[in-house]
Amino acid sequence: MLEALRLALAVAGKDIRAELRSRTALLSATVFAALVLVVFNFARDPTALAAVDLAPSVLWVTFALAAMVALNRAFTIERENAALDGLLLAPVPREAIFLGKLLANLAFVGTVEAITLPLFVLFFNVNLGAALPGILGVTALATIGFVAVGTIFSAMAVRTRFAELMLPVLLLPFMVPPLIGAVQATARLLSDRPLSEVMGWLRLLALYDVVFVTLCMLVFPAVVDE
Amino acid sequence: MTLPTAGPRLVRRGLVICALALLGLAGVYVLAIGYTPVEARQGLAQKIFYLHVPAAWCALLAFSLVGLSSALYLWLHDARLDRFAAASAEVGVAFSAVMLTTGPIWAKPIWGTWWTWDARLTLTLFLFFLFIGYLALRAALVDPAERARFSAVVGILGMLLVPFIHLSVYLFRTLHPQPVVLKPSAPSLPPEMLQTLLASVAVFTLLYIGLVTARYGIALAEEAREAADAA
Amino acid sequence: MPPDNGAYMVAGYVVTAVILVGYAAALWRRAGRAVRGE
Repeated sequence: MLEALRLALAVAGKDIRAELRSRTALLSATVFAALVLVVFNFARDPTALAAVDLAPSVLWVTFALAAMVALNRAFTIERENAALDGLLLAPVPREAIFLGKLLANLAFVGTVEAITLPLFVLFFNVNLGAALPGILGVTALATIGFVAVGTIFSAMAVRTRFAELMLPVLLLPFMVPPLIGAVQATARLLSDRPLSEVMGWLRLLALYDVVFVTLCMLVFPAVVDE
Repeated sequence: MTLPTAGPRLVRRGLVICALALLGLAGVYVLAIGYTPVEARQGLAQKIFYLHVPAAWCALLAFSLVGLSSALYLWLHDARLDRFAAASAEVGVAFSAVMLTTGPIWAKPIWGTWWTWDARLTLTLFLFFLFIGYLALRAALVDPAERARFSAVVGILGMLLVPFIHLSVYLFRTLHPQPVVLKPSAPSLPPEMLQTLLASVAVFTLLYIGLVTARYGIALAEEAREAADAA
Repeated sequence: MPPDNGAYMVAGYVVTAVILVGYAAALWRRAGRAVRGE
């Protein structure tokens, strides 16, 4: 069990180091997220709705799209390097490889989100204040959901000809429950609603994460093994 | 080892069942239009119910069977399970399409709006997208073993997504009329309505069986011919 | 007096028939091609 965890961290570390070396994917994904925020600003009528009403939706659509862009890139790098083949030949438990990939993708998407959040606060004049820890918690939970399923689907999509189209078509339906939970929780946190109102949505997010991380770990061998 | 005639045999059988089911459907049309009473508040438009509900049942059946055979395929690696899942998915698209068209056509006169994001209509939309995603992935993969494994993964994940969609959308909002048929004491539908509904469910289920059998047989026949061409 | 919305009923019944009969017919054509060997 501990050995598997150590292996997972090793796999994650290797992927993260590879990404840090090139940095292009990280930069592109972050710029993409920033641009989406800009588009959202011009895609609304500022006199019709206050920024604070749209804020949760804007934030989460941006995060969801950025996660998809990041995940697409993550496995393309993998395919180019064929590094996964070496890992698979070794007797490494597949669960450890999946966890490692999940952690690396989480680090990647998390970094993009960490840079996007301050930009969001800036562009939309959102007062996070006391809501910040809650927002961070919601972001962590929802992102785990996005990335768990996204890791599986990007591993599959990269083997098709139209990976950039295939991934969104497969992944977006799966992003909806965490998205609903995240937007609702974020909206209540930003309006200073009592914690009890937020708890239900957090539980939905946590349940989704538990179910899908487990499930994805179980089906991962079918995706990578012959 | 299946005989080269197995495919065409199944196709014939499936198409015969379809023909019977479509005849039955015509009968259901007659019953629904002539035999059932007109609902006082909702009018004739209410009669779409006799098509919409069985289509929903079949779409859900098709979807569950895709999920089930996907899970069994990953366990047993039997190509028949994969072939069945693909057939059920395609037939599921047809029934989902019926739901997604009759739903709004029913909603407009009854609720005054073509579309609502209520729990059930939304779930139907998701089933439709999941089916399409499943079939799109299959179309994009060339190697049969890889295609079978990957679609099985999507099938299983999709099956487990459905309760979450239901839960999160329900928590979000719901407008759908409460279920009238399945109550513990007695159904609150007049007998003609209940009979017609049950007849329709039977006919739709028969149609599902016929369509899946035919589609399965076609897949078998096409595979056999590809193997013969390659040899 | 029930509302006059028979047109919707007709639309629903026609669309359903078109989809189901249409799909069955498409399978029939595809079956013909598969069996004949095109």
